[in-house]
Amino acid sequence: MPIYEQTYRRYEAREPLRAVRFWPITREALRIILARRAFLALLAGSWIPFIVRVVQIYVVTRFPEAGRILPVDGRLFGEFLNQQIVFTLLLSIFGGAGLIANDLRTGAILVYLSRPLTRRDYVLGKLGVLLALNLSVTLVPGLLLYALALALAPELFLKWSLAWIGPAVVLHSAVVSLSVGLLSLAVSSLSRSARVAGLGFAGLFLGLEVVRGILAQGFGLRPVALLSLRADLRALGAALFGVAERGPSLPWSWPAAVLLAVSLLCLVILRSRVRAVEIVS
Amino acid sequence: MSVAPLEFVRASRWYGPVIALNDVTVEIPPGVTGLLGPNGAGKSTFLKLAAGQLSPSQGEVRLLGVPAWGSPAVFHRVGFCPEVDAFWEGLTGLEFLMILLRLTGFDERECRERAEKALQEVALLDAKDRKIGGYSKGMRQRVKLAQSIAHEPELLFLDEPVSGMDPVNRRRVIDLVKRMGREGRTVVVSSHILHEVEAMTRRVLLIHNGRILAEGDVREIRDLMDEHPHTVALRARDPRSLAEAVVRLPHVLSLSFGPEGEWVTVQTAKPDEFYGAVSGAAIEAGVSEMYSPDEDLESVFKYLVAR
Repeated sequence: MPIYEQTYRRYEAREPLRAVRFWPITREALRIILARRAFLALLAGSWIPFIVRVVQIYVVTRFPEAGRILPVDGRLFGEFLNQQIVFTLLLSIFGGAGLIANDLRTGAILVYLSRPLTRRDYVLGKLGVLLALNLSVTLVPGLLLYALALALAPELFLKWSLAWIGPAVVLHSAVVSLSVGLLSLAVSSLSRSARVAGLGFAGLFLGLEVVRGILAQGFGLRPVALLSLRADLRALGAALFGVAERGPSLPWSWPAAVLLAVSLLCLVILRSRVRAVEIVS
Repeated sequence: MSVAPLEFVRASRWYGPVIALNDVTVEIPPGVTGLLGPNGAGKSTFLKLAAGQLSPSQGEVRLLGVPAWGSPAVFHRVGFCPEVDAFWEGLTGLEFLMILLRLTGFDERECRERAEKALQEVALLDAKDRKIGGYSKGMRQRVKLAQSIAHEPELLFLDEPVSGMDPVNRRRVIDLVKRMGREGRTVVVSSHILHEVEAMTRRVLLIHNGRILAEGDVREIRDLMDEHPHTVALRARDPRSLAEAVVRLPHVLSLSFGPEGEWVTVQTAKPDEFYGAVSGAAIEAGVSEMYSPDEDLESVFKYLVAR
């Protein structure tokens, strides 16, 4: 009998796979991103509109006549969250562009995927970073604003007819954070450079916005509004909160379908790009 | 009936039209197995298939009785040290290992203990709080090795683990690999340098053009190689004093200086004796890198292919 069969011993294996395997990836990436002072400054700056809205509610409660020029109702939350889309884009550019690109460049994805993780866990871990960042400037201030509105102006907000505001804040924040997060990750997976990925992501949003503007001005076609992902997100927010948007509007289902299609495309890209070994044919 | 820790059953892997591994059937037992072949032979593809990082285009690769591809649960028991650099340079060595240990499922206290123990094994404990970006090539190799052993895997796949290391750390890593084999772990270590593999194990797999050419005792290959001079390149702080010491060693056939002045290239008929004798002179002359080009191994492969 060969010697190796006598010395062979079974390793004391842990449970097959842990339930929340993606969490260490999210935690470590957040720790690294939040260690950058410039990023913290950006995150803090993202809360300035929240302060402005709190002041707005306070002023209207103290001086009700100010409500004529600064109306305080359910639309305030829609306008606030639509403003916050810009900050989710900035956070995704500066915090999300390198999430996968850097792992591809350094080869770290190889050691990640040699651990007891699936590729889905890896993507979930990275997406968790963007969701945490984006929700921290949409959902958290949105709900806090609603709580402050209830406390400061109960006569305006403590009504059954306005109880939809809380769920609408949750839904809009989730749609914005998920769509922007998935797109940012997909773009990050297409490059091995965080800088290129960041520029690509910014270019995608700005470029589509410019194309939409040109086509809308030149031809006045309503469906071209769908080209801009930011306009799609704003349109959904406007529909949810009853905010009147400038220019002709489309049924909410159209931008929702575009965002769903873009998100599915992002998942397809991530599925093909996130692998331990880059296949060069 | 015991299951072999690693099994390839008619496994092939193509990259587009290029075949990297061709119809390989082999069982790897516990202990150290050397995967020996020239550059481009398919060693890295073999190890990536074994470590479940690539799917076979055809056939099957089984780790501890389960398919290597798509079975991440088995990775608790597997360590993989890739040939390429694979880390975040902004992290310290300790942080890098701790992140990977958290992913394996250890708690904070255990992560720290295991990370420090692994860094100690590869003589990097003193540099644990330095950023990896500031590590030398040899230190990077060692931190990569440390991440692969920190969770005490049952199977260990090491792709060219001593490449670029100085003689002292090369010896340390060779001893570590041998010890792991003695402990009953299954270690597959790739190299294109015969004496490196020979220092770790007597069991080798010879791979060439994606096929397993031979499997067995390293001494048989050694006998084939004895007729070929062996080339060793050394990078030293003081190449002239190194040359002076080396030229006196027995079995040194010739010696030359590299174009940049830091490299000394030696031809020897007895590489084992040479490596044993050169350590003292290497330390005195500040040798920072030592490697062996694979021309001699190529000639053995040519011989085996032609047979």
